[in-house]
Amino acid sequence: MQRFWRRFRQGLQRAWQGLREWSGDAAYEKYAQCAVRGGAKQLTQAEFYVEQLKRKYSRPNRCC
Amino acid sequence: MKKFFSVIVWIVVALVGAVALATIAFRRGEPINATWFVLAAACFYVVAYRLYSAFIAAKLLVLDNTRATPCERREDGRDFVPTNRWVLFGHHFAAIAGPGPLVGPTLAAQFGYLPGTLWLIAGAAFAGCVQDFVILFCSIRRDGKTLGEMAREEVSERGGFIAQLAVLAIMIILLGVVALVVVNALKSSPWAAFTLAMTIPIALLLGVYLRYFRPGRVLEASVIGVALILFVVVAGQWVADSPLLAKVFTLSGVSLAFAIIAYGFAASALPVWLLLAPRDYLSAFIKAGAIFSLAAGILLVRPQVLMPPLTRFIDGSGPVFAGEIFPFCFITIACGAISGFHSLISSGTTPKMIQREGHARFIGYGAMLLESFVGVMAMVAACAMPPGVYFAINSPATIVGASPEAAAQTISGWGYPLTAETMTGLAHAVGEQTLLNRAGGAPSLAVGMAQIFSNTIGGERLLSIWYHFAIMFEALFILTVLDAGTRVGRFMVQELCGRVWKPLGRMNWMPGILLSSGIIVGAWGYFLYQGVVDPLGGINSLWPLFGISNQLLAAVALVVATTILLKMGRLKWIWVTLAPMAWLVIITMKASYQKIFSVNPRIGFLSYANAMAAQLAAGKIPVAKIADTHRLIFNQRLDAGVTAVLAVMILVLLVEALVQWHAILSRRKEPVLRETPYVATQWAGGD
Repeated sequence: MQRFWRRFRQGLQRAWQGLREWSGDAAYEKYAQCAVRGGAKQLTQAEFYVEQLKRKYSRPNRCC
Repeated sequence: MKKFFSVIVWIVVALVGAVALATIAFRRGEPINATWFVLAAACFYVVAYRLYSAFIAAKLLVLDNTRATPCERREDGRDFVPTNRWVLFGHHFAAIAGPGPLVGPTLAAQFGYLPGTLWLIAGAAFAGCVQDFVILFCSIRRDGKTLGEMAREEVSERGGFIAQLAVLAIMIILLGVVALVVVNALKSSPWAAFTLAMTIPIALLLGVYLRYFRPGRVLEASVIGVALILFVVVAGQWVADSPLLAKVFTLSGVSLAFAIIAYGFAASALPVWLLLAPRDYLSAFIKAGAIFSLAAGILLVRPQVLMPPLTRFIDGSGPVFAGEIFPFCFITIACGAISGFHSLISSGTTPKMIQREGHARFIGYGAMLLESFVGVMAMVAACAMPPGVYFAINSPATIVGASPEAAAQTISGWGYPLTAETMTGLAHAVGEQTLLNRAGGAPSLAVGMAQIFSNTIGGERLLSIWYHFAIMFEALFILTVLDAGTRVGRFMVQELCGRVWKPLGRMNWMPGILLSSGIIVGAWGYFLYQGVVDPLGGINSLWPLFGISNQLLAAVALVVATTILLKMGRLKWIWVTLAPMAWLVIITMKASYQKIFSVNPRIGFLSYANAMAAQLAAGKIPVAKIADTHRLIFNQRLDAGVTAVLAVMILVLLVEALVQWHAILSRRKEPVLRETPYVATQWAGGD
């Protein structure tokens, strides 16, 4: 039973993380990890948000 | 033993699918349950995925999981971001699923449920999914290059230019047509107009919240936004009941057209974080929720499909749009079966985020199967209402009459019984003044969805709320396509104008932004206005144009795919992309020819223009309508010209490709592939 609950919790966590990634909620965390590894100057969350939107909406990203 | 059971399971799935398909194909004279549609589609899809996509992955593309994908080699946390395949599937599906798979099947239901359903299922498995999958693969092997770049590098400079023009053409026509669908859904409906108008301040509010208060917290902002939107759907009823407010929000087609044009301009010129992005977030959540609710509703309610398998309108005399089943069924249903626009997504963001080449099968082929399933559900929702009601909602007043009595008489005369009381009662039940003459597919789909939802939750009492929820859902995500498309169109125009005068190409120069926004909005706005004032309802002329341009882009994508596969030496399996490409060329050429030259004025643009000109010359047009008639004649000739240009583009590209293929096959030219060199992956197996 304990194993079941542990797996259930893990499943929920994974689904939550998936939802955050799908919606773009976790985009800054991913960027920050990458920027730290690359040693580049890191944007603030607000700067990253605007920069990311500008890139996303400058090419076809929604279909008919 | 395990393999034996697996084979047995797949044989059972295939047999169930075959029985379900045979049932929907051969049942005559009595209603059929929607469960057969779900079973037929689901079984066909899983078998196609298990066998055909596996064959393409193994034999045609030879996917290589040891090869590092672009996001591994170029990871930057911005564009190139390794993404879990389920999350990427969600991203890809949300990007490809627009209003097309909902509206196209609803319009094509005028032929009966059978042709559209078969085309949706088979077209997706053998054409649409193949296109998405192969283009995704080609783009992964080229560091996420776009379709235009691949066409230029692998086919020819001219091929790349045609691809670029095709994208711009489809964008303009698409935006005009989808805006027309919104206009026809909202006109004379204060409840729907208020609900949609309120989504703008809600989006602005979220935009400011996400920019200044909680940057990037998309989930919490979306929860607030969705709650507000559900509230305004309910509040719309109060507006409709208030004599003063109802008057303010009761808008004519022309007023709505200008309001949408102004909105498109604002969304293109304003900062992206203020209006466009927050609306997109809202739309994504509502879209996902509504689509899954519709699927669950169909499974729970299991409605009877009342539309016959084939109607008398397969002969081309349909009231919704004119044209015979071949080729117009295949032009009307583009998204849901095959959509060229998907190739832009498959060669856009997705290839830059995919972790393994092997995931391309699940994401490219699988997401398109799901989109096709959405199309089948839209077909079920449209066909679950009595055919008489379907035709009354979707036919223009010039054909069925503007009053419930006239419509009932005409439609009953076609053999689809309908009473005036049915239409008045239905309009009253969904909280509208009238449901007649709402060409465009959105209102009839909303009625179908509302009936399915209300049979699940709330019964008749909630029918009007469900109807307006469905209208809001359709209009919201159509407007999302409209504003995102206008913005991308603006960038394309700026890029083109920048070649003539450099400052116009600068993305942050305000006069350039305003001018290019004006050009792109003016272009699709013209098509929208033309559709609104067209006595045949606009959809009759414009939806086929959209279908032709979308299929043109699909043909471009399949030409690029075929060329690349030939260069890779996969001649033996080349029919996988060649056959759908040939099919698309045949249907687009035939449809283009008929739309330009058919002697039937309801089909042929030129004969319609000539008929109007003859009436003018004979003095049969009242003086007050002479200017309108001149405009109508001009519009029909313009549409003929646009169709001709699209057809010529297909032919030029085809000739370009044939020359290239001949050179490769006759070994006169050494095939040069522009793939990025092989780099072994450093990542361990799994996600």
